[in-house]
Amino acid sequence: MTLRRLRAEIAHRMAGGLALLVLVIAVVWVLARAVGLFGATANISLFLIVTLNGLTLAGLYFIVASGFTLIFGLMRVVNMAHGSLYLLGGYIGLRLVQNHLNYWLALALAALAIGVIGLVMQQVFLRWNQGQDLRQALITIAISVVLADQMIPYFGAAAVAINAPGGLNSSVRFGLGDVRYPTVRLVVLGLAVLIGVSLWYAIQHTRFGMIIRAGVDDRAMTSALGVNVQVVFGVTFFIGALLAGLGGVLGGTMIALAPGQDASFLLSSLVVVIVGGMGSLAGALVGALALGLVDQLSGVYLPAGYTNFSILLTFALLVFVLAMRPTGLFGRR
Amino acid sequence: MVSMMLTGTRRRLSSWAVAVGLGLMVAACGNSTSTSNSSTIKIGILTTCGGPFAAFEQESFSGAKYALIQSAGGKSQGASPQNGVSGASVSGHPIEISFGCSDATPDKALAEARRLIQNVGVDILLGPLSGDEGIAIANYAKQQPNKTFVNGTSGAQQTTLSVKAPNFFRFGGDGAQWMAGLGTYAYQTLHWRNVAILGEDYSYPWTQAAGFIGEFCPAGGKVAKRIWIPLGTTDWASAVAQLPGGIDGFLLLTGGTDTVAVEKEYATRGGNLATHMLGGSSVMDPTSFTVGKPLDGLAGGSPVPLGSTDSAWTSYVNGLEGAYPATPKGSLAGSLFTGLYYDGMTAIIQGLKQVGADLSGNQSKFQQALSGLTLSSPNGSIKLDSNRNAILPNYIVEIVSQSDGSLGFKTIKTVPNVNQTFNGFFGPSSSPSRDSPSC
Repeated sequence: MTLRRLRAEIAHRMAGGLALLVLVIAVVWVLARAVGLFGATANISLFLIVTLNGLTLAGLYFIVASGFTLIFGLMRVVNMAHGSLYLLGGYIGLRLVQNHLNYWLALALAALAIGVIGLVMQQVFLRWNQGQDLRQALITIAISVVLADQMIPYFGAAAVAINAPGGLNSSVRFGLGDVRYPTVRLVVLGLAVLIGVSLWYAIQHTRFGMIIRAGVDDRAMTSALGVNVQVVFGVTFFIGALLAGLGGVLGGTMIALAPGQDASFLLSSLVVVIVGGMGSLAGALVGALALGLVDQLSGVYLPAGYTNFSILLTFALLVFVLAMRPTGLFGRR
Repeated sequence: MVSMMLTGTRRRLSSWAVAVGLGLMVAACGNSTSTSNSSTIKIGILTTCGGPFAAFEQESFSGAKYALIQSAGGKSQGASPQNGVSGASVSGHPIEISFGCSDATPDKALAEARRLIQNVGVDILLGPLSGDEGIAIANYAKQQPNKTFVNGTSGAQQTTLSVKAPNFFRFGGDGAQWMAGLGTYAYQTLHWRNVAILGEDYSYPWTQAAGFIGEFCPAGGKVAKRIWIPLGTTDWASAVAQLPGGIDGFLLLTGGTDTVAVEKEYATRGGNLATHMLGGSSVMDPTSFTVGKPLDGLAGGSPVPLGSTDSAWTSYVNGLEGAYPATPKGSLAGSLFTGLYYDGMTAIIQGLKQVGADLSGNQSKFQQALSGLTLSSPNGSIKLDSNRNAILPNYIVEIVSQSDGSLGFKTIKTVPNVNQTFNGFFGPSSSPSRDSPSC
């Protein structure tokens, strides 16, 4: 028994060491190529921009995935319609902006609308299936399929972009030669930090957050202590969906909206929270950073001729983390 | 524990997904395999309804269906391209249409082609839409010698230059042909000497790059960098960041969502699309107009004379828009996908008419008729070469602001009789790749 435990411990340590080694090699490789080793041309400003792209994309991933992980953490609902809520939120924001509504107001209204839609979805479809994970996941898949098809006749199949107001739709200079960076991406990063800090504060330092934490640890006991779990579930689903809608408008401004992005953002949310650990906010942060940076850096710094593997690399990340830590980086056993 | 539960859920989920998928597929097949009398001619239309090029579905549908309305007496069941066409016939033989839906990947296109040919039993397949799909379908065509394959818009060079299935016909030419004139335009008119190429990483953009390089480099131009990004990439910011400094401009070879992502990113960073970018043929598509004003003045290569005032083109545009009044003006006719699916279906109908819809003898008479066809299409006169690939005119088109403030196209140059080899520059062994042809 002790021998087996020792072996497991050694294997675990070795796995951790291997993970660290791969990480170090990757970082060294990227930095070396950035400063001009291994046959690359030195280009520090490219490195900075690509890193910033990774961080801003991570910001968007975090906004979307934090809602996903919040819902899962408390309710054990794998909300497969989360990507559809993202896309629908973006489309609602697009329509509002097209109707000459102020961009920020449109952002807030679209997010609220998606929050309400999420709440209705939870109350009508999920509440009476509480505790039945598979059934709930299937219901949300059904909702996502219906939404995906319904959005095409209303919003078209072509890619559309939300045009941000003047100031947001420009770029800033860093004083790095001619390098300019889109303002909107920096705003997304800023909002992601703001949302992250607010969520952390709300969960760690408010009564409601305490209830959520208690609910994550032991739903039955929390309920038995007299907390109205149904209200908590409703509010959590509202916030989780709201974050998806918010991400949709920001994503539509930063990248574009198109059919299929519901699936791709659901997938990235899944990767983010599986890497980070389901239900953990810190996990979502680390997962989003890992995915965003790997996504952007690999496309540029993989050896020439292998850049087409950059898409695979994000899944390699997933496999790697799961192999090392099956519960994700911050997941509980 | 959580993860175990999740893994279990996911595993069960995936089997459910497969089960549901299979159920739906059986149901869908049940619809399309309706029995028909022996004189019915079954035509399959294969396009993309998912993936990065999903937006081109209604364009390709509208073209193929409008050809049935115009040349085969069909009637649209409604005001939009998604509505069916009924009552089409050739030489007394009713035409029955089945649809295939791919997502721009070769395996999905192949699966759909197999379903249409082997299960539904179509006689003629029109499609596919995208480059790699076309190579796969042309190879599959060799296994089905008694069926006829007419390409939709897939534009990889190898499809007809090295695969060369004897029953695969391409009336729209390949991606390199669609760039004819653009390299010269960049060198002589814009005075570009040093360019970068940014595109999606698969056969069609490589072929388009080859067509550009085929003129630009022999003239004396240089390609400073070629940046190929995997299809399916959501965020193109780092792709744009890789464009080197000190270039005169860059050539963008993307389609659909990716085009919008790049154009938006480049314009937001203060770049001028009209003076520093040229577009590949799928870039010159109304689906990108959401980017807005920065597109005004952007030029690119196209096999269809977008915005032309030529009477053959305008009567096609008017007829098409009359058939689909529910769709905004310009959104269908302004697309090469509409135009080339229209050409493909028109060629099928004309070929059938020539042989009295006789598909006997492994369709050999019909295939001979197709080989010898001279198609007077809205985009000019088209003939096939000995590899059954089109010799056709090509156009340089430009996105312009119209009087009402919306965006539209105008044709600024015509290049007649473009053949696939660029007069010997390309051959069966010169298949375009990431870094070939060299420059």
